[in-house]
Amino acid sequence: MTIAAPQENTVAVVADAAPTALKVGIPKEIFAGEQRVAATPDTAKKLQKLGFEVLVETQAGAGASFTDSAYKAAGCTIVTDPASLWQAADVVLKVRSPQHHPTLDRHEADLLKPDTTLVSFIWPAQNPELLEQMAQQGSTVLAMDSVPRISRAQKLDALSSMANIGGYRAVIEAASHFGRCFTGQITAAGKMPPAKVMVIGVGVAGLAAIGAAKSLGAIVKAFDTRLVVKEQVQSLGAEFLELHFEEDGSGEGGYAKVMSPAFIAAEMALFAQQAKDVDIIITTALIPGKKAPLLITQEMVKSMKPGSVVVDLAAEQGGNCEVTEPGQVISHNGVTIIGFTDLPSRMAAQASQLYGNNLVHLLSDLGGAEKFGIDMEDQVIRATTVIHNGQVTWPPPKVEAPAPAPSTQSATPTAEAAVAAPKPWYTQLLWPVLIGPACVAIGLWAPASFMTHLTVFVLASFLGWKVIWDVSPSLHTPLMSVTNAISGIIIIGGMLQISSNIASPMTILGAIALFLGTVNIAGGFMVSQRMLNMFHK
Amino acid sequence: MENNLVTTAYIVASALFILSLAGLSQPETAKRGNLLGILGMAIAFAATAAISQGYPIQIGSIGLGVLIGVLAASRVAMTDMPEMVALLNSFVGLAAVLVGFAEYLQPSAALSGGDVIVHRVEIFVGVFIGIVTFTGSIIAVAKLRGWVPSRAVLLPARHVLTLGMLGAIAALGVPFLTATGDTPLIALGAMTAIAGIFGIVIVMAIGGADMAVVISLLNSYSGLASAAAGFMLNNDLLIITGALVGSSGAILSYIMCKGMNRSFINVVLGGFGETASGSGKAAAIEGSATSTTTGEVVDLLANAQSVVIVPGYGMAVAQAQHAVAEITRLLRGQGKQVRFGIHPVAGRMPGHMNVLLAEANVPYDIVLEMDEINDDLTATDVVLVIGANDTVNPSAKNDPTSPIAGMPVMEVWEADTVVVLKRGMSSGYAGVENPLFFNDNTLMFFGDAKTNVNAILAQLSTTNVPAPALSAA
Repeated sequence: MTIAAPQENTVAVVADAAPTALKVGIPKEIFAGEQRVAATPDTAKKLQKLGFEVLVETQAGAGASFTDSAYKAAGCTIVTDPASLWQAADVVLKVRSPQHHPTLDRHEADLLKPDTTLVSFIWPAQNPELLEQMAQQGSTVLAMDSVPRISRAQKLDALSSMANIGGYRAVIEAASHFGRCFTGQITAAGKMPPAKVMVIGVGVAGLAAIGAAKSLGAIVKAFDTRLVVKEQVQSLGAEFLELHFEEDGSGEGGYAKVMSPAFIAAEMALFAQQAKDVDIIITTALIPGKKAPLLITQEMVKSMKPGSVVVDLAAEQGGNCEVTEPGQVISHNGVTIIGFTDLPSRMAAQASQLYGNNLVHLLSDLGGAEKFGIDMEDQVIRATTVIHNGQVTWPPPKVEAPAPAPSTQSATPTAEAAVAAPKPWYTQLLWPVLIGPACVAIGLWAPASFMTHLTVFVLASFLGWKVIWDVSPSLHTPLMSVTNAISGIIIIGGMLQISSNIASPMTILGAIALFLGTVNIAGGFMVSQRMLNMFHK
Repeated sequence: MENNLVTTAYIVASALFILSLAGLSQPETAKRGNLLGILGMAIAFAATAAISQGYPIQIGSIGLGVLIGVLAASRVAMTDMPEMVALLNSFVGLAAVLVGFAEYLQPSAALSGGDVIVHRVEIFVGVFIGIVTFTGSIIAVAKLRGWVPSRAVLLPARHVLTLGMLGAIAALGVPFLTATGDTPLIALGAMTAIAGIFGIVIVMAIGGADMAVVISLLNSYSGLASAAAGFMLNNDLLIITGALVGSSGAILSYIMCKGMNRSFINVVLGGFGETASGSGKAAAIEGSATSTTTGEVVDLLANAQSVVIVPGYGMAVAQAQHAVAEITRLLRGQGKQVRFGIHPVAGRMPGHMNVLLAEANVPYDIVLEMDEINDDLTATDVVLVIGANDTVNPSAKNDPTSPIAGMPVMEVWEADTVVVLKRGMSSGYAGVENPLFFNDNTLMFFGDAKTNVNAILAQLSTTNVPAPALSAA
């Protein structure tokens, strides 16, 4: 879908940039078990369209099923030695933050040349030493985890794209550890009840999980402290579990905030009750900069039916479930608890494609190959850049960013409220005040003949009002031309005024009126017929 | 006796007009409705002819009128329908003025006492409505044709000026009702002149996209002018017909105003342009729009299962409806679901887009109203926005400070991908920036709509020839 045929302008850019193109290096990920890669053959092509030359370490895409030959076919240069790749590249794109390279026996941060740029997940808050180490290299580092969560930066938001895949994969993992079908059926061999899935935390991952579970046929319920997501949950066909509690958990940047103790107690009671009922619980609750909230206690796990599955997407941040072991699948009283921290990596091809696209958008925002530069005035680039020319620039100055979801959702009622605000009492009185005396005046002074005409006029107006409301909006233009034509009935007036005396002013005026009215009648009916003939199924 | 026969004919004609409008409720019955209208008109005409005189003049006037009307109606392009409707409105207005003057010069019935005053009030009001309809419609035509600037042209102190004119008109009513001799005629003439200017000033002050409201409103006025003529001529058929047309125009104006979430007074008293540039309080948008190419759009369409096309006035201006219809046919031939979403105020006249699409042979059952399609947009793969802007602006929904806040809009951003065909990044008629263009799932396809749509069509028809066979099954 995104593989566009080469177009005039883009081809020209590639040709111009060829001799001195900036080189983008894609090293193979060295984190144990990491299958993703920072560029796929497809996104590598897009990078070339931006004017970059792309160097790929041999076997870099192997984990995600992208072969060296596929990269070669996409116009990339394959480099066999990681050291020379880091040496040659002006911009290095990675997935995992730099760490000790097992085969080179050097830290990746030390491979970073001065005046080059590294784009990767960094997690600066958790890795202050790494930040310091990279800063000493005098290079520039952009952290994909620090992209601000504002609408404009959505195309760069790798956390969202990874969370999306993680949510989907969580359902797949749950399904593979669950001993029953997700979808309900009645077969000749007996009834299969549908699986009941509860998703806690409806962020990007939660929504993806709801969508995936729903499409497998499960009954899905979801809970979130932020009431604004209710509509999104319902739009996916899931049930939104509500506490009858006056507290909204919308925090900054689309995340949730910490709730009051009373709220948490009510929430826990809800989970305890649901745990006995549902087969699968998927938790995705995170609060930025804090340990993940504990939502599923050991008690609740015990109360679940044997064979049930809990998938804890917050495992890396301490887990939403009390018994989660990060990176492991464990069984607790017959309940399987999945604590994988590498769900996106388990869908490496898709995850790499999305992450690669995020990187392409970032490099495009940085000016492409020709105008490549870090614009520290740009709010998004500023927040993403954690080291600028050897200077640590993290954390960025605080910018008030409204949560994207609430701004779209909660603003609606405000706007509606503004519209629906009750009118002041005097405007409601306006019409009675105007019409009342007019009626009295007419009743007192108007002659009898006028009264009959007025009766006809008022009744005809109401009749017209009723009839016209039934007219289909698609026929409003023909309606106008038909009414145009019949308002030409005024010719009757002209006809009655015409006498045999050609010179009398009345006859002249009447004749002109008759002429004009006839143009209207003939033209109006004719053009209506012409239009109506065009309408067909 | 003879008189009763005429009255009976008028009753039949009235009934036929009502049935005619009722027939317009569905496309299936609309043609019959139109024919019933013609029949009603023929009956009314024949009955009136039976009691009138001066046949040579009548035949001459009618013959010329029919000739010109038929010629104009058979030649007008569908994109020019707003002008045609406005022009026809002006004729009714002028006819009402002439009938009013003639009626003053020689009352059709002998009157005495209070009846004379009432009769004169009827003439005065009838001529006033008629002349405002006439000059207003002429200006509307000139604006739609581009003879005068289509933006809101505001005179300095125009509220004072218009109030002054209304005051003068009311003042002239006094000598017209009470004086004798030539004075009433002079007063009537002076009132006509002032009211004519009043009509010009009022319509000049209304901006291009509000024309839909103005045309509906003038349509309503033309009905009221007929009704007023009915009052002065003691003719119930004119009153009934005028009332029908008047309420039709009023409903259309109401629908248009609701479609823009503006009050009627607000539209008549001030254009959008004025308020928006004056306050400038809409949230500023920063960010970059992603532009796209023919190839990418064709790829998108080739991979989409459901496509919704949202046309606006820009499509009419570029005359792109035929190419759009052709793309629709091609995609539907491949088994894709293609529908149209029409915003109530799209175009320059109620139902403008429907007529253009019907002209281009788009089946009317895939042309849906905003309310019918908005909920489906989440499940839509690709939305093509062709020459629409304010009607797809998310800030109407999301930004309470926006000048268009609360206006119902097509929620195209809910779709997977939105392709906006547009000349450039300029803001729409309301002068409001459109955050839609900066969305991540929005692709901007800049350039002339017709050229671009034709380019898409050309590439689509060459790349996807084999597919149609499948859908036949």
